[in-house]
Amino acid sequence: MSININTPSPAISGGGLGRGRIGQPVLRKEDLRLITGAGCFSDDVNLPGQAYAIMVRAPHAHARIVSIDTAQALAAPGIIAVLTGRDMLADGMKPIPHRPFSPHPADMPLENTDGTPIFTAPHYPLAPDKVRHVGEAVAMVIAESVAAAKDGAELVEVDYELLPVIANTAAAASPTAPRLFDQARSNVCLDGVMGDAEATAAAFARAAHVVRFETKIPRVTGVPMEPRAAVGAYDPAIGHYTLHAGTSGAWRTKADLVIMLGVGDDDVRVITNDVGGHFGTRGMLYGEFALVIWGARRIGRPVKWTCERNEAFATDYQGRDLVVEAELALDADGNFLAMRGSNISNAGGHTTNFSPLRKGVEIMSSIYRIPAAHFRARGVVSNTAPTRPYRSSGRPEVLYVMERLIDLAAREHGFDRIELRRRNLPTEAEMPYTNPFGMIYDSGAYHRVMEKALGLGDWAGFPARRAEARARGKCRGIGVANYVDTASGVPRERAEMTVHRDGTVDVIIGTVSTGQGHETSFAQLVTEWLGVPFDNVRILTGDTEFVKFGGGTHSGRGLRLASIVIWGASQQIIEKGKRIAALLLECESGAVEFRDGAFVRPGRGRTVSLTEVARAAHELPDVPDDLRGPLAAISDETITTAQFPYGCQVVEVEIDPELGSLEIVRYSAVDDVGRAVNPAIIHGQVHGGIAQGVGQALMEHCYYDPETGQLLSGSFMDYAMPRADNFPFFNTEYVETPSPTHPLGMRPAGEGGTAPALGVMINSIVDALSEFGVRHVEMPATPERIWRAIREARGGAQSMCDRNTPEVMLR
Amino acid sequence: MYDFEYHKPKSLDDAAATLSQHEDFKLLAGGMSLLPALKLRLARYSGLVDLGALGQLRGIRREGDEIVIGAMTPHAEVADSAAVARAIPALAALAGGIGDPLVRNRGTLGGSIANADPAADYPAGVLGLGATVVTTRRTIAADKFFIGMFETVLEPREIITEVRFPIVEAAAYSKFRQPASRFALVGVFVARTRGGVRVAVTGAAPSVFRFKEAEEALTKQFDSTALDAITIAAAGLNSDIHASAEYRAHCVMVMTKRAVAKAANVPSPCNERGRVRQGATMSVNINTPSPGSSAGERGSTYR
Repeated sequence: MSININTPSPAISGGGLGRGRIGQPVLRKEDLRLITGAGCFSDDVNLPGQAYAIMVRAPHAHARIVSIDTAQALAAPGIIAVLTGRDMLADGMKPIPHRPFSPHPADMPLENTDGTPIFTAPHYPLAPDKVRHVGEAVAMVIAESVAAAKDGAELVEVDYELLPVIANTAAAASPTAPRLFDQARSNVCLDGVMGDAEATAAAFARAAHVVRFETKIPRVTGVPMEPRAAVGAYDPAIGHYTLHAGTSGAWRTKADLVIMLGVGDDDVRVITNDVGGHFGTRGMLYGEFALVIWGARRIGRPVKWTCERNEAFATDYQGRDLVVEAELALDADGNFLAMRGSNISNAGGHTTNFSPLRKGVEIMSSIYRIPAAHFRARGVVSNTAPTRPYRSSGRPEVLYVMERLIDLAAREHGFDRIELRRRNLPTEAEMPYTNPFGMIYDSGAYHRVMEKALGLGDWAGFPARRAEARARGKCRGIGVANYVDTASGVPRERAEMTVHRDGTVDVIIGTVSTGQGHETSFAQLVTEWLGVPFDNVRILTGDTEFVKFGGGTHSGRGLRLASIVIWGASQQIIEKGKRIAALLLECESGAVEFRDGAFVRPGRGRTVSLTEVARAAHELPDVPDDLRGPLAAISDETITTAQFPYGCQVVEVEIDPELGSLEIVRYSAVDDVGRAVNPAIIHGQVHGGIAQGVGQALMEHCYYDPETGQLLSGSFMDYAMPRADNFPFFNTEYVETPSPTHPLGMRPAGEGGTAPALGVMINSIVDALSEFGVRHVEMPATPERIWRAIREARGGAQSMCDRNTPEVMLR
Repeated sequence: MYDFEYHKPKSLDDAAATLSQHEDFKLLAGGMSLLPALKLRLARYSGLVDLGALGQLRGIRREGDEIVIGAMTPHAEVADSAAVARAIPALAALAGGIGDPLVRNRGTLGGSIANADPAADYPAGVLGLGATVVTTRRTIAADKFFIGMFETVLEPREIITEVRFPIVEAAAYSKFRQPASRFALVGVFVARTRGGVRVAVTGAAPSVFRFKEAEEALTKQFDSTALDAITIAAAGLNSDIHASAEYRAHCVMVMTKRAVAKAANVPSPCNERGRVRQGATMSVNINTPSPGSSAGERGSTYR
């Protein structure tokens, strides 16, 4: 498919149209509904006669299920059914169809070095034999009310045989660690390499400088504002299931349910209305979705389940959790020669997903020119909640490692950290740039964007601000971090567009807005390309009754792929419209042009509107058969190229050296979005993304007790979320360098706020502490960690021995 | 939430009578801790006695050298009280820094000290000021009131009616917040009274406690430098995923010095900010502009 970005569409050149065109920061259409309580989230759905499900969840991190006694629970008031893993298997339920990797051709292959297949094991909605993390469901109690179901759940007696627990990522990789899966040789499910070992070794052999860095990027969780909920129904007359649930794409959820239930494609309908947050957390089907529709069939009534916040903390798919050892080799001038190391990613209690491992390793060299690299990549399981890709899958982790390596190289080998970056950033002349793992970065003005961010953050004026802060007893630091982000994901998307006789345009598309504002930005595309008033465009998503295919929302693919298929459908509408307009204008269709939302016969002055053409398609007697009926088009495209948004952030912090507490005082970000559709939405995405990244850097942490695997950060009392008062106002700007691999030049903007935030935060903190000689502070950089770093650097290290908190408490 | 009986007595006598008839009934004040515990099924009572209708338990008055606050007075009323602000501004500031506006409008003084959360603010104020807790049965000195984690000397059928706070020469509360809950990771209330200096510490140990060594030193010389030679042992302090006992011990010293500096109205070298940052301290003075808040640094750039 070819669309030339350099040829403006007729509407662009025409001008004169009103509100809502590409590039305008129009207010989001959906916000009035959402902020006035008129949204319809999953828990707002109630079906007549519905019963309520509660999950019986494992209190242990690793245990064999010896027996489950449901008799007492079944005898309790209001209990309709108590279903276990055994019942589920007896009914033929298949495991959740996890896929270890996203199926995108632009991503690099990662396979076991020894040639064996990647180890995967079935993950059932109810654990049939063994539980592998705290909170794993072992039974479902269905009752007349939530309270009755909870009472019943307390009466389900589960006899567990406790097994040794392994919760720590690096320790889980040990061959002697307790094994989660009896059928596996170890907890290492994937052990592969990427890059060129020989070239890397040779480069290291001739390096003038080598800098080494070991770190752990901690486990965090998405904490969507709306916890999960699901309502399932079953129609026995036609053998048809319906699920109402918040998903990141109804079609993919349906496809997975079809597999799990072993039914036909038309036997399941999934409906997703408004969704309150995703971040990767909703990227895969949850077992409860299958359980409620199965339960509905079992009891002959709809079944509703609403996740409570404590369940969400324990059982939402979590993110990050990567152990990295990395080395960077430089020549005497500071040119990067090579990097090498090892990554261990923790998939949690099931073999859910190794995409973050792969997507991290393949971009380990970040945005910089590094001729050779070689990394070992291991994926392990452990007695913790399963993980999945989380906002910018796998990338913030490794981008952080690279930015730390550069600052460490600068400090330990006498380089200026900005000069080191300038020296090693590819120039525009080097584009497209192939990184040492084989990823091809499409294009980018990397230098220009970094300089813009340095200007926005007033890097040059920092010394004066540091001196002023010192007078107040504060340690002020500044940091910089570049990023490049691989946007791939499910490569196929589909749009179905209909121009109605009243002039409204419906677009059916397979993504789901989980907060991104698709109703607004997608409508802007239609307004731009068809000249239809912004308010006349409806974006219809989230119901498999009319969504015939959809890749869902993830990996920066919402607008990126929607724009391609909406463009494609728009062009078809125009071509069909020209043929109908030719009948009205009494000329050849080749003579008809489309301008400003109307068809014209040049030179004659007569025009017919798109609405008139849509009407004529129904009403005009001489419309050819292939055009008769609704003026509609379908665009179904598979885009095998990836896009590479990139950017730079500059941050300043002030640290109170007595307490180790910090305040972010300046935050500047520049992103290249290729082509901006709605600037306000882009700035919003960047703001939210920054908060999410800074949350990880400073305070968020899923903390599992290493001995017991108990989640000690299981509520908002202990899981620290960033809040507005943790931040200054952000300075965010973007540039538009069209992506040559996207037909419309677009690059995603949803993950750029998060991608560099980890690195820039830690870099600025370490810079603030440079006067003490602090080399590094691990994430989350809590006040205690900062205080300890200062104390140890000052020479108080001996007291580390007598402190009563093991280091693991801080990990 | 398990099923329970709900009673809302019209008088204190009714409340006492209901309690005396049902041993496992629980008093409900603002419900800011009790209701979440019930909802999570972490607590179970066969009945609740809601004190919400007892208007006589709500209010603030000055009596001689004391500020008297009714047990059912919400934090927001204490924070906004001109009488408290004049007499014991540190107490008004403490109340104004509890939780968020929702908690301050619902949560009560009596509920807070009866619950005796080890990280709550009011216990530090009550103990630090040497207040007197008045109940339906007796008066209890603050020094005798708090005896452990979520534990006080209150008997099952005893109801707090008011707390009498002596007006002191100077006082201040400095709180270092736990980043998730924003309860006190360490909070220190310092009061200079005619009988000497009192220092109460919350958040650091299983229960609020008096920091006697600091009190002695500060009684001799009310100046943060008087604390330079003093340390507090980490043994016995709380250690959790947010802070080790060792760090808490360090924070106790820092926050005590800052409270003294604030009470003595001498600016500390590391002056606290009004705005709450990650782990930042809370300050009485919220009008001091933050150096980071100059207009040039705040504007978000939109194109």
